[in-house]
Amino acid sequence: MASLSARAPEALGVGKAALEALLERRGPGALPAESRRDALARFEELPLRRTIRSSRGWKRDLEKVDLAAVDAAAAGDGCVEIALPAAAAALGVIATSFERGASEHAARFSAALGSAIDGRDDKFAALSLAFQNAGAFVFVPAGVRLDDPISITYTAPAGGLFPYTLIVLEHGAAATIVERVEGASGTFVAGIGEIVAGERAEARVVSHQALPDDAVSVASRSATLGAGATLAFALAESGADYAVDRTRVFANGRGANAELSVFFFADGKRHIDVESEVVHVAPDTTSHTVVRTAGTGRGQGRYVGTIRILPDAHGADASLRDDALLLSKEAHVDSVPALEIAANDVKAFHGATVGAISEEELFYAQSRGIARADAERMIALGFFEPALSRFPGEALRDQLREQLAGRFGERVDA
Amino acid sequence: MSEQRGLHIEGLRAGIEGNEILKGIDLQVEPGSVHALMGPNGSGKSTLAFSLAGHPNYAVSAGSVSLDGQDLLALAPDKRAAAGLFLSFQYPAAIPGVSVANFIRSARQAIRPGDLTPAKFRKLIFEQLDVLDMDPAFLSRYVNDGFSGGEKKRLEMLQMAMLAPKYAILDETDSGLDVDALRSVGNAVKALRESEAGHETGFLIITHYPRILQHITADRVHIMMDGRIVRSGGPELANEIERSGYDKIREEVAGGIA
Repeated sequence: MASLSARAPEALGVGKAALEALLERRGPGALPAESRRDALARFEELPLRRTIRSSRGWKRDLEKVDLAAVDAAAAGDGCVEIALPAAAAALGVIATSFERGASEHAARFSAALGSAIDGRDDKFAALSLAFQNAGAFVFVPAGVRLDDPISITYTAPAGGLFPYTLIVLEHGAAATIVERVEGASGTFVAGIGEIVAGERAEARVVSHQALPDDAVSVASRSATLGAGATLAFALAESGADYAVDRTRVFANGRGANAELSVFFFADGKRHIDVESEVVHVAPDTTSHTVVRTAGTGRGQGRYVGTIRILPDAHGADASLRDDALLLSKEAHVDSVPALEIAANDVKAFHGATVGAISEEELFYAQSRGIARADAERMIALGFFEPALSRFPGEALRDQLREQLAGRFGERVDA
Repeated sequence: MSEQRGLHIEGLRAGIEGNEILKGIDLQVEPGSVHALMGPNGSGKSTLAFSLAGHPNYAVSAGSVSLDGQDLLALAPDKRAAAGLFLSFQYPAAIPGVSVANFIRSARQAIRPGDLTPAKFRKLIFEQLDVLDMDPAFLSRYVNDGFSGGEKKRLEMLQMAMLAPKYAILDETDSGLDVDALRSVGNAVKALRESEAGHETGFLIITHYPRILQHITADRVHIMMDGRIVRSGGPELANEIERSGYDKIREEVAGGIA
C-alpha cells in the first residue's frame, strides 16, 4: 500500500488534477482508477439532492464549502485505527484497513463492495468514492457472535479524509461496530459507510462524529438487510461546525428489522443536517426510528426522515418519532418526517414535535430547590435519553452524556 | 428569633390571569404542627399551594408570607425550597430522561450541598423506599414518566422524606389513592415526624376528603370557601365535614352565622 508522510507543498482541492495526483502518489488502492474518475465526474455534474439544499434563512450551504485546501493524497496509515476483540480473530472475524481488505480478502471484499451504495445519485458520496484514501473492512463469518465491540477510529489530518467503512455480517452473525471520527482543526471529512447484513444477522453499528468544532463532515451511509436480519444503527453528531449525514436502510429480506437512533445538539453557530430513509422492500419488515435533536445559541439543525413501504412489503410495521428542543430564540431546528406507503395491510406511524422546555417541568424542578439554569440543563440532557439510551454499551452512553453536558458548560453527575 | 418561627401567611391575596382567587388568607403553621386545609373544589386551596411555592402563573397582589422569619414571597421557587418549603404536587410534571435517583440527588444537593456521602444518600433513600413500600427499581425510572396516579403520589412522598423540609404542603396528595397508597402516604408523614430531621416539620395538608386525617391526626382544621378561610377548629371539624359535607357550613357562611 502506498503511503506518504510528506505533505504536498500545495493542496490541489478536489478537481481532476487533485485526483490524478492522488493516483500517482498513492496508486488507486482498493477502488479502480476509472471508477474514481467516473465518480469525480458525477460529483461535478450532480446537483445537491433536494433535501439538503440550502433554504431560506439557512446560513450554510454544502455547495459553498471551500474545498481548495483539501489534500487527499496526504492521508497516511495513521488515519485509521481498528481494534478487534482478542478472541475474534480465531473465529475468522476480519477487521482491517480497507486496502488490506481489498488485497488480502479480495473475494469477500469485492462481493460486498458497492452492494449497498454506489454514489450514483449522491453528489458527496461520489466525491468520497473519487478520493477515498482511508477505510476499514469488517467481516464477521456466519454464525459468529461477538459480545465485545469492534472499534474503528478515523483521525482526519488537516488536508481532509475520505474514509470508506465496509461492514459485512454473514447469516446468523452478530457484532457491534463502533466508528468514531476525529480530526485536525478545520478538517474536511467525506465518508462512506456500507453495511451488509445477511439472513438473521444482528448488526449493531454506531457512528460517532466527534470532529473539532470548526470541521466540516459529510457522510453517506447505506445498509442492506437480509431475511430476519436486524440492524441497530445509532448516530451521534457530536462535533463539527457543519455536518451533513445521510443514512439509508433497505429491508430487503422478509422480517428484517431496522432500529435507528439519532441525536444531535446544534449549539453556537453549528449547522447539522441529518437525513434517514428506511425502505421496506420485503413483507413483514419492521423499523423504529427515534430522533432527538436540540438547538441553542444560533445553531441550526434539520432532520429529514423518510419511511418508504414498497408494494410487496405487506405486513410492514414502521414508526418514526422525531422530537426537537429549542433552547434559544435564534436557534432553528426543522423536522421533516415523510411516509410513502405503496402496500396495503401495513402499520406506519410518525410523529414529530418542535418545542421549548415546558414551564411546568421547570417549575417542578425548581420547587425541589434546583436552580432554573440547572433545571434547564437537566431537562435538556434528559430530553436526549430516548435516543441516547438506545446506544450500545454503558461506557459509550456515559461518554456521549459527558459530551452533551460539556456543551452546556458544566459537568453533570450520571 | 423563636417567636418568628412558623409559616406565617397574612392577608394573602393572589390570582391567576387577573382573576383574584385568594381573597385574604391568614394562616399560621407552627413547627411540628399539622394543619388540615379543607374545602370544596374551586375554593382556592391549590392556588394557595402554588402561590406559596412561587408558580410563575400565580400573582400575589397583597399580603405577606414568612417562613421562620424569612420573606418567602421575595424568593425564586428554588430559593423557597432551599428555605425549607416543600410542595407535594397534586399533578406533578413528568421529566422524561431524568431518573428518579438523579433528580432527588440533585434536589438534595441543591438544598443541602454536600451533607451526605453517596453511600449515606443511598442508604437513606433505600430506607425511605421501604417506608413507602416502593420497589427500588423506581429509582432508575424517569421522573413521573408513565407513572400511575398512586406512583406519582408515592414519589412526591419519597422526595419529601429525602428533603426533610421545615414546612410541607400536601396538595390533595390523598386524592385518587387506594387504601394501600393512602396508608403509604400516612406512613411517610409519620416517619418524617418521628425522624431526627423532620420532628419539627410543620404540615399543611390540603384535602377535599377527611379520610386522610384517619392516617394523619391534624392539630387544626381550616375550612376554605371562595378564597377565604371561613372556619377553623380542632380535629372535630373534619368529622363534621365527614357527617354533613360542606353544604351546612356554606349555608352558615351565607347566613352570616359563621
